[in-house]
Amino acid sequence: MNDPKPSDLARALSQTIVGQHDVVEALLLALIANGHVLLEGPPGLAKTLACRSLAAALDGAFKRIQFTPDLLPSDIIGTRIFDQRDATFSTVLGPIFANVVLADEINRAPAKVQSALLEAMQERQVTIGLQSHALPDPFIVMATMNPLDAEGTYALPVAQMDRFLAKIDVGYPSRSEELAILDRFAVADTQPLHSVATLADVQGWRAQSHRVHLEEPLKRYIVDIVLATRETQHDAIDYGASPRATLAIANLARAKAMLDGRDYAVPDDVRAVAKLALRHRIGFNYRLTTANVGPDRVIDDVIAAVPVP
Amino acid sequence: MTARSRASIAAAIAALVIACVGPSARAQSLQRLTITQFTLASDTATPTLEVPFHLLIVVRVRERIGELDTLDLPVLTSLELLGDERHLSSDASGTLYRETITVVAHHTGTITIDPATLDAIDARDGKAKRYFSNRLTLTVRGGALAPLRSGGAAILAGAVFVLRVAVVLAGLLCAVAIVVLLFRRRSVPEPVPAQAIVHGSEAPRDPRDDLRDALVVLRAEPTRANALLARTHLRATVGATDDETLADVLARAACDDPAMALVLRNLERAAFTYDADLQAAIAAAVASLEHAIT
Repeated sequence: MNDPKPSDLARALSQTIVGQHDVVEALLLALIANGHVLLEGPPGLAKTLACRSLAAALDGAFKRIQFTPDLLPSDIIGTRIFDQRDATFSTVLGPIFANVVLADEINRAPAKVQSALLEAMQERQVTIGLQSHALPDPFIVMATMNPLDAEGTYALPVAQMDRFLAKIDVGYPSRSEELAILDRFAVADTQPLHSVATLADVQGWRAQSHRVHLEEPLKRYIVDIVLATRETQHDAIDYGASPRATLAIANLARAKAMLDGRDYAVPDDVRAVAKLALRHRIGFNYRLTTANVGPDRVIDDVIAAVPVP
Repeated sequence: MTARSRASIAAAIAALVIACVGPSARAQSLQRLTITQFTLASDTATPTLEVPFHLLIVVRVRERIGELDTLDLPVLTSLELLGDERHLSSDASGTLYRETITVVAHHTGTITIDPATLDAIDARDGKAKRYFSNRLTLTVRGGALAPLRSGGAAILAGAVFVLRVAVVLAGLLCAVAIVVLLFRRRSVPEPVPAQAIVHGSEAPRDPRDDLRDALVVLRAEPTRANALLARTHLRATVGATDDETLADVLARAACDDPAMALVLRNLERAAFTYDADLQAAIAAAVASLEHAIT
């Protein structure tokens, strides 16, 4: 039997998720590039289903954490509990110890809870008491946010947004996709997905993507794009992307090339992933709203001003 | 001190002054350039005896310049110079200088053409440098005069001898003429005949001609830089703008031609693939480009 490929995973996901090809591809890219993703979109657009399906297709441990204002850091990372019978403390690991963690509505929890999660994302280990515990590998956090209902939410600080490799904007399905949803799910629940790849396969894909070649002009192109976000005179941008964006674009472009069956990246790969890495790292101001254009439109303008190598 | 010895001392001082001042004056007159390509190529690796062919010198610099006056052509002792056409075009990415020399060979055998040289101040470090193009080796094949050499008759041998002497003399004359030409060109940089240089703005070349030239260069010297040059000309041919990627270009109706789409993909690969795959990528690009052009 042939080793499973990322495209097999994409095919499996398309059995449960109607349309949303960009979302599925972005999830795969983040998985291959070993990064965490932030999904933003209105309720009911299969954000949770996509994360759950990905975990099921990978045969990995999946945990969902519903973020609420009364959530505590220990509810995520775990805590030490005193056992009265033995008169000792024992450690209970939190739901973050899973391969795929869905942090649902991450902006509903206060800053200290968000910080606990994001620190774990960065360090890939958590410390409970005096003992450090490594998180499983692969470990991917998929956090969701709802852009429509901002009351009672805690905006993610810029530094913490930066920890996410990619931000995926989940949009409404097309008319034909909506009809397909009606046909498929109106009378039946989603069929459970069988695993098509193992966690070891994911590690193999990551190693393969590290070997994807980035030619020097392409590296310069990535840097030029990131610099353009800082140097642009666009009046809707307050500040540009950090150097983490440069690394994120490079890693995502490598993953994209690998997903397309190439062992070298081309400018199209960079273009395809740039918005994923940039849209949550650029500081937009109120003019974005008054001009009635989305962040993607502004990023498109910035990228278009950078000559393709 | 006699008048003769005074004259000798004056001449020595003058020579010393020229030796000291000459190079610095020349260095001061050099252009500040960032040279990204400097190649010498031929439209055929095996020219035929007495059949004219072309040598192509391509210089690409990042700066926008109006002339390139410190380029020295190789001395073509084995070839007769028939013509010389220069073309200079500038755009946002810099300047492309192309010189096409029409020559003819009067001898069969292998000819090695020395590199062309270009003196300039390297804009990256401010130092005066002499740049060299690649060396070119051609094999001249027998043409109409070949049977004379295979004949055993004394008359034919005599005729060949006379012919050879004439060719050698002609070659020497050519060499002298070239040296004189080069000397005049170096000493007087400005008066390049206006009609000899066709500026891009005055008479734009067909992008397909540039593409053909780039193919010649890529075939002669299969490097990544030349693949990038061919890719640039191909993009110009299909009307790609600076902000368009391959996917954008292929999405346009102008690229419905599958042969052209294949060339675009192959040159994209040659431009960005890893070194171990480069030669295979260039070979594929050259093959598809030849097919698409013809």
